[in-house]
Amino acid sequence: MSSKIRRCAPATLSLFSNTSARTPRACIVSQWLRSRGLTTVDSTPSQSVPLRKHLKDEAKRKKAEAKGSHNDIKAKTNPHSDEWKLTVGVEIHTELNTACKLFSTAPATAADSNGLPNTRVALFDAALPGTQPQFQRATLLPALRAAIALGCDVQRKSGWDRKHYFHWDQPNGYQITQYYEPFAKNGSIVLSAEDGVSKTDLSGTQSISIGIKQIQMEQDTAKTTHYAPSSYHVDLNRAGHPLIEIITLPQIHSPQTAAAVVRKIQAQLKSVDACVTGMELGGLRADVNVSVRPRGSSGNYSYGGVSGLGQRTEIKNLSSFAAIENAIMAERDRQIDVLEAGGVIEGETRGWTLGATETTRLRGKEGEVDYRYMPDADLPPLIIGSDLVDHLRSTLPELPDATVLRAQQDYGLSAKDAKTIATLDDGERLDFMEETVELVLDNLGDDQADKTKIGKLVGNWVLHELGGLLATSNIAWADVTVSETELADIITNVQLKRITSRTAKQLLATLHELPPDESRPSVEQLIDDGSLRLRPLSGEGYTALAEDIIAENPEMAKAVKDKGQKGKVMWFVGQMVRKGHEGTVEPEKAREVVERLLGS
Amino acid sequence: MVKLWWEEARAGCMTVTDNDDSEPLNGDSIAIKDNIVTSTLPTTAASRILSYHTSPFEATVVKLLKQNGATISSKANMDEFGMGSHSQNSFNGPVLSLFKRDGVPLSPGGSSGGSAVAVATGNCWAALGTDTGGSVRLPAAYTGTVGFKPSYGLLSRWGVIQYANSLDTVGILAASVEDAAAVFSILNHYDAQDPTSLLPSVRGRIAANRRTFPKTLRIGVPTDYNIHELSSAVRGAYISTLQQLQNLGHTLHAISLPTTKQALSAYYVLAPAEASSNLAKHDGIRYGFRSEGPDALPRENLPLYAQTRGEGFGEEVKRRILLGAYTLSSEAIDNYFIQAQKVRRLVQRDFDRVFATQNPLLDSKPGGGGGGVDVIITPTAPTLPPTVDEVKKQSPVESYMNDVFTVPASLAGLPAVSVPMPLSDAIEMEVEGGDVKTTGIQVIGQFGDDELVLRAAEIVQNL
Repeated sequence: MSSKIRRCAPATLSLFSNTSARTPRACIVSQWLRSRGLTTVDSTPSQSVPLRKHLKDEAKRKKAEAKGSHNDIKAKTNPHSDEWKLTVGVEIHTELNTACKLFSTAPATAADSNGLPNTRVALFDAALPGTQPQFQRATLLPALRAAIALGCDVQRKSGWDRKHYFHWDQPNGYQITQYYEPFAKNGSIVLSAEDGVSKTDLSGTQSISIGIKQIQMEQDTAKTTHYAPSSYHVDLNRAGHPLIEIITLPQIHSPQTAAAVVRKIQAQLKSVDACVTGMELGGLRADVNVSVRPRGSSGNYSYGGVSGLGQRTEIKNLSSFAAIENAIMAERDRQIDVLEAGGVIEGETRGWTLGATETTRLRGKEGEVDYRYMPDADLPPLIIGSDLVDHLRSTLPELPDATVLRAQQDYGLSAKDAKTIATLDDGERLDFMEETVELVLDNLGDDQADKTKIGKLVGNWVLHELGGLLATSNIAWADVTVSETELADIITNVQLKRITSRTAKQLLATLHELPPDESRPSVEQLIDDGSLRLRPLSGEGYTALAEDIIAENPEMAKAVKDKGQKGKVMWFVGQMVRKGHEGTVEPEKAREVVERLLGS
Repeated sequence: MVKLWWEEARAGCMTVTDNDDSEPLNGDSIAIKDNIVTSTLPTTAASRILSYHTSPFEATVVKLLKQNGATISSKANMDEFGMGSHSQNSFNGPVLSLFKRDGVPLSPGGSSGGSAVAVATGNCWAALGTDTGGSVRLPAAYTGTVGFKPSYGLLSRWGVIQYANSLDTVGILAASVEDAAAVFSILNHYDAQDPTSLLPSVRGRIAANRRTFPKTLRIGVPTDYNIHELSSAVRGAYISTLQQLQNLGHTLHAISLPTTKQALSAYYVLAPAEASSNLAKHDGIRYGFRSEGPDALPRENLPLYAQTRGEGFGEEVKRRILLGAYTLSSEAIDNYFIQAQKVRRLVQRDFDRVFATQNPLLDSKPGGGGGGVDVIITPTAPTLPPTVDEVKKQSPVESYMNDVFTVPASLAGLPAVSVPMPLSDAIEMEVEGGDVKTTGIQVIGQFGDDELVLRAAEIVQNL
């Protein structure tokens, strides 16, 4: 979705006017930019990888890991990597979910919006001479929700600083950020194996805690799109959009855990509605700093109050989980190779591109930009009252970990199932399950009904039966036609022994295929139409059926009767269920009859 | 109407009186310094980098003037981006003073020299300037006009092109204190578009603290301002002013502002530091001048926009940007920028210690010596205006010396006004016909005491 001030020229920037450009919405700044011969054009929106796809990939990865075939190929490229201790810290930038920009009333650009380039630009966003920032207080709310979700101390007083560098994506020549006094400090997140932490990092414990050093608010940059060979389009719509930067302590010791930390932070932010989009492509960007030192030894460097580390390098601008994991692996191996060859690690900034096997040097210390941080004298300090923080804390949506815990305790789900159901489809499956449980309990009308027992049952149906149908039919959750009421009716019938569970599964499959319109039959209708209701056989019926089967299988009968092979009783039960008219044989009763007849 | 300006100021705004004028300014022509944006006339801040720039919006102060019936007569030339003390650093050519010495034009003072000359020559009734370290008061002193810098935050800076935004203040040049006060009362309003505009609550606190105007003023005379650079002509006029005030029954009190000596150095660290930041936006992309050819020359490893900025800025602007970039750099910030901020705070404390009125921005008075002064009276500039030839021979640091008396009030954000005072007879005999016959006397008051400062200035003016 680029847009932009169009500029092009050989090996440089120069004015370029596009006569076929579409007219942008009336906007003083876009008119202004056009008067400079800078035009705005539309272009195609970028693609984003849906969360579901990511979760699928993640599931695949976990599966592979469970099989013990974790393909940490690069880890094995260096035979000595076990002798080195890796340390990683992460900086995450994410766009806040707000209505307007950080310092102007221009509307914030939703990541998926198709607004024309340079139409959401206030005077200040274009850095017109004589303009000043006007802090938009509402942007603070999602930032505070993020800080609370990440367990940070919200600072009563924080400030705004200018970070200077020249680039066309930064119209003022500086970014306004919170360098000296960030608004939130000293948080942490807790991760367990379910979050994707590597087993070695857990080293036997249930969970690990990673410290959040600080969170700061800052401005996003304009969006630049490069059109080869030398044309750059700049869209100021994003310039000034509020971001938060989350800085973890260097307490991460594996690439896999680093990705898990980012994923978990993202989930926390999402659950409290703090950020706009997912990680893939732009909504969230991460920088990682990486150092290694010989295992059991102490390095000479200290970062964020964590001392004894090796010289670190920074890898900038990673925009997917895979990129984070792979870049750290590559950089770890590079550093080990350098050190083992007797070299020295330089404190430098490196880059990594998808599919690469090595990080590449971007600039060394001598090429480091001196950002000349300076307090912004136009902006008064940010004073945040504890009453506001308390209010937000008390009204915060449930955090993912709390949801998982609730699914376990209230509904009797296993830790694994609870995590899965809470994560899938933005928690919609959990909602579906909860609603279904309530309906089943109502249907049963039994005050004594065990909620955790029903919960576990419904959880199984939602995750495994319905989940299985989704997988085989390749249908997304959003397109599922089975309603909570239908599933509750099916399960109720099973519970009341009115249908067999095999019938129930068939009913679910049938309903899954039907469109959600008026022609859709109710569960009761389907049972009636298919004559699926369990019609209990009479005692004689059971005996007759059992006798038939025993007669047909004298050897088996003999084995039970004479040799006392009681396990074979169940074989007879199975035969009875299969031979009996659909849905008429209850295994329990069948067993009684078989045991009686075979005298065991 | 004008005589009652302080009553009206107290009411919070200019009220329409029952005479025939429907608007307070009734067509009065006002010149606007070229770093205050106007949507009808170009605004270039006297810089090549903004050549031909016409702003798509109008500054709040210009809007207020127009709403009150003023005619915007012209944009006034200045030192580029306000950087200079003689209005000679302009892409449009130097500002010419109306005074000469031995046939050589005198400095009109800077950086609001064009505004001052426009008023002095009668080309307009009043003019807006900006005052960062003395840029309204010094030209007033050099041209025989009144120059008023209000308390920082009273007049909106929305639409004022930043030089050093923690110091930049819109100021007023006029032929009399009353005229300056009339313009001030029209502009003295809260503006939500300027985040440094004083909130209505603070304005209310200032109004509540306001005392009745004393019959006799307690006048502070800073001993630290008796520097050896003070010329005899200026010293003579200064002493004469103080004597006449004493004769009227006002009392003189020696006061000490010990940080004065460091103030000028601190100013010339802070102002360039902020300038290097504020001027970073001028890259030629979205507005203004743009060099021919590429913006960056990777072959020569030049940073982006180097050529545009190199050609677009004048020498003094480049000097201050470089100074500022250095003092903010990670190796120098502790020794320069941070130290200068500390000095700035000490300067403010110096003033708070001597004024009788409590600083409305502070919770309690530090130190709190009893019996403080109502206003401080000093010369505006240490010398009479030099000729433009002398200016050319000055080193930048010598040139910065002109601001020694004006910078402290800027660092503390205090209201200060320069009033023309005739030179004593003996010296006047020596000056030839075309030379300046006045010097500037500066009245400084506590933060928010703008009304008191203006009324004291009126007394000085009427001596």
